[in-house]
Amino acid sequence: MSLDFDRKDCFVVDGKLALPYTYFAGRMGSKFITTLRDEKKIMGVKCPVCNKVYVPPRQTCEIDMTDIRENWVELRNTGEVTNFTVIRYDDKHLPRKAPFILALVKLDGADSPFAHILEGIVPEEVTLGMRVEAVFAKATTSTILDIDHFEPARVSKVQVSEPAPRAQEHAAVPKSKEELDQDERRKAMSKKIIITAALAGAATMKNQNPAVPYSPQEFADDAYKCWKAGAAMVHVHAREDSGMATHDHGRIKDTHDAIREKCPDLIVNMSSAVGMGKTAEQRISQIIHVKPEMASLNTNTMNFSLVDRKSGKVFIDFVFENTFTMLQDFGKAMEEAGVKPEMELYDMGGLDNWALIAKQGFFTRPFNFNFVWGVAGGQAFRPDAFMTMKHALPEGANFTTCGVGTDQFPAITMSSLAGGHMRVGLEDNIRIPTGELAKGSYEQVEWAVKIAQIAGREVATPDEARAIMGLRKR
Amino acid sequence: MAHRKKNRNVGIIGIGQTKYSSHREDVNQPEMIHEAVIAALKDAGLTMKDVDCIVHGNMELFEMVHQPDLWHTLGTGAYGKDCIRITTGGTVGATVACAADNLVASGMYDIVMAIGFEKLQEGHTTGGITNMADPLWFRHLQTGALTGTKAYDVIKEFGEERAKRASLMYRIIMDKHAGLNPNAHRAFGLEFEQIDDLIKTSPRLVGDLKLIEMCSQSDGACCVIFACEKKAKELSKKPVWVRDHITVHREEVFVMFGYDDRNPFPATHRFAAEQLYTRNGVTSPVDYFDVFEMYDPASWWAVDWLRDFFMLKGDEHLKLVENKEIMIGGKIPVNPSGGVIGSNPIGATALVRVAEAALQVRGDAGAHQIPTPVNHALASGFGGTMWTVLMMLEKELNWQEAHNG
Repeated sequence: MSLDFDRKDCFVVDGKLALPYTYFAGRMGSKFITTLRDEKKIMGVKCPVCNKVYVPPRQTCEIDMTDIRENWVELRNTGEVTNFTVIRYDDKHLPRKAPFILALVKLDGADSPFAHILEGIVPEEVTLGMRVEAVFAKATTSTILDIDHFEPARVSKVQVSEPAPRAQEHAAVPKSKEELDQDERRKAMSKKIIITAALAGAATMKNQNPAVPYSPQEFADDAYKCWKAGAAMVHVHAREDSGMATHDHGRIKDTHDAIREKCPDLIVNMSSAVGMGKTAEQRISQIIHVKPEMASLNTNTMNFSLVDRKSGKVFIDFVFENTFTMLQDFGKAMEEAGVKPEMELYDMGGLDNWALIAKQGFFTRPFNFNFVWGVAGGQAFRPDAFMTMKHALPEGANFTTCGVGTDQFPAITMSSLAGGHMRVGLEDNIRIPTGELAKGSYEQVEWAVKIAQIAGREVATPDEARAIMGLRKR
Repeated sequence: MAHRKKNRNVGIIGIGQTKYSSHREDVNQPEMIHEAVIAALKDAGLTMKDVDCIVHGNMELFEMVHQPDLWHTLGTGAYGKDCIRITTGGTVGATVACAADNLVASGMYDIVMAIGFEKLQEGHTTGGITNMADPLWFRHLQTGALTGTKAYDVIKEFGEERAKRASLMYRIIMDKHAGLNPNAHRAFGLEFEQIDDLIKTSPRLVGDLKLIEMCSQSDGACCVIFACEKKAKELSKKPVWVRDHITVHREEVFVMFGYDDRNPFPATHRFAAEQLYTRNGVTSPVDYFDVFEMYDPASWWAVDWLRDFFMLKGDEHLKLVENKEIMIGGKIPVNPSGGVIGSNPIGATALVRVAEAALQVRGDAGAHQIPTPVNHALASGFGGTMWTVLMMLEKELNWQEAHNG
């Protein structure tokens, strides 16, 4: 095809458009910017109908037109690159001199990506899915550039190479002096025993034992008594006033905060199981919202039913779903939020499941396990099974134990002898060893203290427990 | 002009407007549009699930956003639905109404939502219109609505005093109407006694076009929901029927350097009106219509255009103004809403004419409802150099054989 047009005497007129404009961020956009500026927080909004989290925030959910303007959620400063481009020309409206990378970053906790500058890496090395974190500007400009840029996230994760490493394999990798010192300190500390009180669970009701707490205040009062009795940690499933287990962020946070306020020293460990019939999103989003020091992480899908112990009659049949994807996603979310996971092992398979997922390398040491006995759907307490599980743990891992009903005290006694820790509380058992109803979880803590004394173990304070389990006090 | 009967009848069943004002810092564009969309859905008793298609329109370039319809999905609710963007300059609000009518009449969709909006505070209107023109190189097309030649024209025909007083009389009637409309942007509380003062004191913009006679630039959005006859009757107690509409435009330049008898203004308004009335059997529009919502960018134009739209002769149009026959309560009320001089969110403006005319037919216009029954209403759109859109609305479905629908 010929492009040989006749251009003789064709005169081209030069023109230029000057189009200045302003842009109103609106109330939502304004709060986004002021929170970024004043609190260095990246805020999004969540649609309560479809659970989509938008950032930057907007007034309505594009999918279902729900008014979401009041539903603020705080997002993390980290995320992953979902796409990127390289700006290779200079122009005065551009925020950097070319070349620079403009990336779409999906912040952790958000569903919509967010465009920003990516620095600290050459374009050739950017990969989709790479982890990045926000770097805030030193001086504020009241614009989106209060986040100065994103850069590759600092890796602080310990790589786990084997599912259940054996001692000799570990010996092959020489440890640094610092690591050895840390091991020593932990070993010395581990002579101490951590007592946890599981205050309520999801199923124990006041009609079984009137001491079961429902309200934030009751939880706080109960936690206080347990702490006074010797507990270093409480494990919590929040409840509505009706006694129903709740996934409501506000109620859970109120319960968590009430305990923290009443006993600031105590470690709060929240449940990521929440209760029957909760969705994966409901189970993990509340953990990320409340960010307790520790949370339970369940390791296998199993029957978790109500069965009459005497007749074997099934009252309520329920499958407790914990897929590999959930184990992975919950574990990652907790590690990224600085929430230490407590791996719940209902049998040996749960440990193997965890070890498979742990190959991805995001779990941080020290690892903390809880052997759970006597769930209708899990295994009953047996001393030899206990020791088999203990031997299968990765080297240096901590373990505690709890048992449902009459398994409770035998199991924790076993743990105190085997070098593990103890969990008691009305979640697992409503009685004390005499067969009487416990006056509260604290009364079971008092019994646990006696067992520790008999086993020759000193009870750990909350701060000692933090050092043993690798928690960061908030 | 070619005109075929509609495949099926179309009724307006929902109307939503924002308050019109110079600033809306509290909302961004989709948030502002959302207010009108929610109001229209509420008015119609619908949810977005009921809407099949969205027709979205505003001025090109005015807010400096490329493909605003995509962003505005947040406010329009167009997610997962057919959405068509239309931009035809100042007429765009009327064009989205015509398009919605056509889309429903064709049978493609049962319920179509027409949205017009503008957030003029954010953009640069002059940049969008005037800076694109090059008067020395035959690029006059985009020069926009600010012109004093119509004043020159009217003054030349009717004498300075009568012409200037008629323009101000029209302006003050509009201000009084705007005072009754809670959505209106500007309502100064002007009185007829101020006519002589304002002629002397109001700053001149171009020639005898004075500041007080010119429309504002406003922020605001308007949403009108159109439904097929079957759905309209099911869903609405008072559907307003779209009888006909017409669009006429010429790519003409304004006469920029003085009036020239050999090159009169393009008379698209009169041409459109003649065609529309002929094919609908309307012989005396002043008698036939009960209300007229006219796109009146400035009072000089408004006075003159009444003659074209109502097919009047001589000074009949001036007498309508001078005798206040265009006021609420008069023979043929014009712009009970306060008109474009009262509020001008450009991309919404022509759709507001349709919306306000429909409200009058329904009897739901509130304080600016005209006191006599409204069975037949006319709405106009204006844009570019001289584009005209006219839409006829009816209270009853009685102007044709029952085979439609």
